[in-house]
Amino acid sequence: MSENILLEINDLWVTYWRRSLLGLKGKPFHAVKGANLSIRPGETLGLVGESGSGKSSIANTVLGLVPATSGSIRFGDVELTSMRTHYPPAVRNQIQAVFQDPYSSLNPSMTVEDIVTEPLRVHTGMNRSERRTRAVELLELVSLSEEHLGRHPHQFSGGQRQRIAIASALALEPKLIVLDEPVSALDVSTQNQIINLLYERRDALGIAYLLIAHDLALVHHISDRIAVMYLGHIVEEGPSDRVYKAPAHPYTKALLDAVPLLDPEAQRRRRAARKSAPAIDAPRVSTTGCPYQNRCPSVMPRCQDAMPPAYPVNGGGTASCFLFDGGAVRHAPAIGETA
Amino acid sequence: MTVQSAKEFKTARRPRRRLSASLVITVIATSVLVLLAILAIFADWIAPYDPLKQNLIEALQSPSAAHWLGTDDLGRDVLSRLIHGCRIAVIAAAEATTIAVLLGVPIGLFIGYRGGWWDWVVMRTVEAIVSIPGIMVAIVIIAILGAGLHKAMIALGILYSTSFLRLARGVVLAEREEVYVRSARVIGASDGRILLRHIFPNIAPPLIVQVTLTVGAVLLSEAGLSFIGLGVQPPDASWGTMLNTAAAFMDLNWFLAIPPGIAIIVTVLSVNLLGDVIRDAVGRGIVVGVKPQTPAARFETFASVAADSPLPPRREDEVLRVEGLQVMVSSREGNEVPIITDLSLAIAKGETLGLVGESGSGKTLTGLAILGLMGAGVRTTHGSITLNGRELSSLTEKQMEKVRGNEVAMVFQDPTTSLNPAFTVGSQIAEVLLTKKGVSKKEAWERVVELIHRVGIPRPEERARAYPHELSGGMAQRVAIARALSCNPSLLIADEPTTALDVTVQQEILDLFRDLQEEFGMAMLFVTHDLAVAADVCDRISVMYAGEMVEMAPVDALFANPRHPYTRGLLRAMPHASDRNPPLPTIRGNVPRPGFWPAGCRFSNRCDFRIAACDTRVPLVGTDRLARCVRAGELAMEVAS
Amino acid sequence: MLRLIFQRLLALVPLLFIVSVLTFSFTSLLPSDPVDLIIGDTGTQEQYEIVRERLGMNEPVVVRYFQWLGRAVQGDLGTSFFNSVSVTGAVMQRLPVTLSLTAVSALIAIVVGIAAGIAAALRPRSWVDRFATLGATFGQAVPNFWFGLILVAFFAVNLRWFPATGLTPISASPWEWLRSVTLPAVALGLSASAAIARQVRSAMVGVLQQDYIRAARAQGLPARRVLFRHALTNAMVPVVAVLSFQITVLLGGSLIVEQVFAINGLGTLAITAVRQQDIPMIQGLVLVMVALVVIVQLATDVMYGLLNPKARPS
Repeated sequence: MSENILLEINDLWVTYWRRSLLGLKGKPFHAVKGANLSIRPGETLGLVGESGSGKSSIANTVLGLVPATSGSIRFGDVELTSMRTHYPPAVRNQIQAVFQDPYSSLNPSMTVEDIVTEPLRVHTGMNRSERRTRAVELLELVSLSEEHLGRHPHQFSGGQRQRIAIASALALEPKLIVLDEPVSALDVSTQNQIINLLYERRDALGIAYLLIAHDLALVHHISDRIAVMYLGHIVEEGPSDRVYKAPAHPYTKALLDAVPLLDPEAQRRRRAARKSAPAIDAPRVSTTGCPYQNRCPSVMPRCQDAMPPAYPVNGGGTASCFLFDGGAVRHAPAIGETA
Repeated sequence: MTVQSAKEFKTARRPRRRLSASLVITVIATSVLVLLAILAIFADWIAPYDPLKQNLIEALQSPSAAHWLGTDDLGRDVLSRLIHGCRIAVIAAAEATTIAVLLGVPIGLFIGYRGGWWDWVVMRTVEAIVSIPGIMVAIVIIAILGAGLHKAMIALGILYSTSFLRLARGVVLAEREEVYVRSARVIGASDGRILLRHIFPNIAPPLIVQVTLTVGAVLLSEAGLSFIGLGVQPPDASWGTMLNTAAAFMDLNWFLAIPPGIAIIVTVLSVNLLGDVIRDAVGRGIVVGVKPQTPAARFETFASVAADSPLPPRREDEVLRVEGLQVMVSSREGNEVPIITDLSLAIAKGETLGLVGESGSGKTLTGLAILGLMGAGVRTTHGSITLNGRELSSLTEKQMEKVRGNEVAMVFQDPTTSLNPAFTVGSQIAEVLLTKKGVSKKEAWERVVELIHRVGIPRPEERARAYPHELSGGMAQRVAIARALSCNPSLLIADEPTTALDVTVQQEILDLFRDLQEEFGMAMLFVTHDLAVAADVCDRISVMYAGEMVEMAPVDALFANPRHPYTRGLLRAMPHASDRNPPLPTIRGNVPRPGFWPAGCRFSNRCDFRIAACDTRVPLVGTDRLARCVRAGELAMEVAS
Repeated sequence: MLRLIFQRLLALVPLLFIVSVLTFSFTSLLPSDPVDLIIGDTGTQEQYEIVRERLGMNEPVVVRYFQWLGRAVQGDLGTSFFNSVSVTGAVMQRLPVTLSLTAVSALIAIVVGIAAGIAAALRPRSWVDRFATLGATFGQAVPNFWFGLILVAFFAVNLRWFPATGLTPISASPWEWLRSVTLPAVALGLSASAAIARQVRSAMVGVLQQDYIRAARAQGLPARRVLFRHALTNAMVPVVAVLSFQITVLLGGSLIVEQVFAINGLGTLAITAVRQQDIPMIQGLVLVMVALVVIVQLATDVMYGLLNPKARPS
């Protein structure tokens, strides 16, 4: 692999065990099944999927909150998986996070100053006044000000809390920030403020983002590359514009087609097209082969036999779909287009 | 609601002058405990007699001037013994509670954070101890240590440490999952630091409550143990030993039982009441209202809000008609704050009206107001709601019950919480048919299976017997829709019915709504925050902001040509709207909370088109499409050009 | 449901095992030497050795534990150090007395507690609520034995409606049993009914705010039906979860209340045993009480499973 890679994930598996009656290991649940991803310094990778797709498990594993079951995560030249959840400070201060729910991600008993300077206390020898100066600097970076230092989280709106969380994540000027659904709990009118803020900080500081979200359209705006997950597998990966405008995998297409548009006329056309398409009535999970086979309009017999490997796609990136086997880029029939 | 006189609804509620009961309780309970402490410390000086001095000639006397509370079997002064009993009570409570906290909390913190085998072994042991009656545990420990106050208190301390252990462990387990603790781990804070700095401060409130509970329990147990002769040993005076004496002479002088009994009750009651007050205060402390961030801003004075919206034109096939609706909510400070003002709308048969807005816009409450289910502290102060030609405010609660389900039904946001977890989904639909339609059980079940099949759930007979938690979110929402439609209502209110669902499931549910509307022909009020979802299912859209309608238009017209700056801002801010890199278009500032709406146009403080005229109240104007903006005409032209 | 019962039974095995270890090891810590207790001050060294051998005291403690456990499983809890009676026999003789007292008081506590809790939850902040809440707070502050004394003074000594002491076996005369059990059961049940009332109230208030209650109301189901079918079923889940704890407390309380009414139950037996340091008796009593608690726990677990589908094994 190229030297210029910040985070590299290879064949990552994350498995949870259901606790059984006596607290012993029960049935395994594989949240991530062999994921491969890489992020370059200063690059933003959008990781998109629906609930249960495993995207948050990848985030938690990278953050060292959940141990990987197998596979490797390399950060710079450090192998993280062997340390399970015990990262050394030199790694910890390089990877920070912003979580989804701004109402529970800030400790209610701490002041804004405590929250923003907590990373500085843990990782630097700054004294109180130095930390305070830095805290004011950080708050100004996220359009808050010194007067907010002494307040508690409950005195802020959701958007403002998310700004505080970002300020805290920026405190150590990390190389990578994991953003786990950073705006999905916010009002529509404040979402873009946060997106803009994140974008602006990235350009100024050269931070890489791993952006976890369920909304492809939103991710597309600030990602350089996008990876799409379905039931633990990464089914498509590629440059942001290519994935968004010319999705290759049938699931990515379905995902994009399902997002309601702001154009009522286009919606009506799509609905008419869906009505004429044959209804798919099958369980979502399949045991062997491609995880999407039961819902896929382009399913082939071989899809049942094995998980398709990642094939290269025109325009960059890969899709784990047999439609792209042999380089022959065939277009899966897009629901909206056939009508 | 009929239109009430303006005067009646103008009378702003003053903050209620109920010097809160909790304050009175706090003062009294604290005084009792302070008195107890004083008596305990200065017992030697305060008590009129030596508590141990016997005088057999004056035994078993009733209260008199010399002995205010009489004397016991050995002629000892009851009042003096009672006062000295305070000392024992204080020592007992302090000793046992301290032991319990010091023993329980650290172990609980440790096993909660550490988990694994440590946790398993300690918790099974605690469960074992707890499954032995507490008094029996204390008796066994006393058997080992011997009787006496301090030994008994060590026994009680060990016994009650189990509850502190479980409390501390429970808090740690809950806190471990908190996002802010995960954040601390991401930052790289050490385990010790996380425990002490991030988790421990949050353990304090429940700990204080538990301490008060334990103090009360210790006092009762100490009395009990002394009563059966295993606690404080005679001749020392404790309330329990005094009761022991009293029990023996119950038929000679029953009054002996009264003073120590009252002393115990009053003390325990004070401690418990104080604990309750603390617990309530802690619960309140977490949710503190947001103070306005801009202190100088002018806020609307609500007495002046007039119903100035043009009433929707009457139509033949009208199902719902709302005129001039105003809803107030009582705030924590006791005054009433409007949350919906001047709302008028109408929906016809087979039509879907979208009610779009962000949090706090009042859109959800509009739906609940129609059903008459707004909950405590919220009331309609103005306006009328007519359903199928009938004014709903004139109906009794019984009549309203008939209307709900039969004429209007609702689908809620989160299907996993809007279905009762205790019953199968089929039985919940059948119940509606049985109570509302009076069909037989067999008929009801057949209809249930039919409905479940109709909403697109495969294997309906089997799924009807499933419990809500056994279904996916999408399936559960289909069941909720089936239930809502079971009595064929003429109006269906859908409150963010797809917000909790994945986008591919959302699409299926939206299609289902459309299909069902074609088949059943009901009118729909579709509440959502997502303009794109509204674009998919609605015929007309009404945009809400800060409790009022700011724009209403047929769906195509609204998206082609939004007239209100807020609608335009929202549309441009939608992720799909722009196809470029940031900076993305934004609306500056935040959605104002109810009670902090700007005077005049409520959007004016966030609007790029603000002029002087925006500072006075702006009416909703128009006929076919409505907008509440003084520059709506200009903006329309700007878009057209 | 059978699977649930089986699962719960399985989970009780480690509990019973740990209790037996705890009981055995703690009573081994008793300061007195049982041999001394038996032979008295006049015993010779030879007698001492004989008794020691007979009691098996020369074996290692682990061996003694398993011997004791082995016999206990077969229903033999040993022999009292004092009067050579079989512990099993003594306990079984007293058990019905304590059991009937605890059962009646539990019944009172559950009925009164649930009724008061619901009444209070229906109209929060109404006078019914305030009265019930105040009563519950008060009830939890009153020592049960004191309440018993007052009941005796008033209803037995003064009014002579009920006997002041003793408990007539139900087999002897059901009517006399009912008369004699009433006062102690009321005294014992007061604080438990207060605790249950508070739990029911807070559970009901919580459940009534749930979405599914609002949804059921939106569906036009009669208010009464929503309350008693939809709300109460769910509100009982947390109440049932701690019910076995309440009954455990009652069982403990009965030990003391028995003293007030001079009832010859397990309490009297326990207090005498502790005073005399009668190890086999204490061990036996603890095990029997835990067995009772475990049975109650099993019953409440099954009830919990009936009320809460999520708790059932799938």
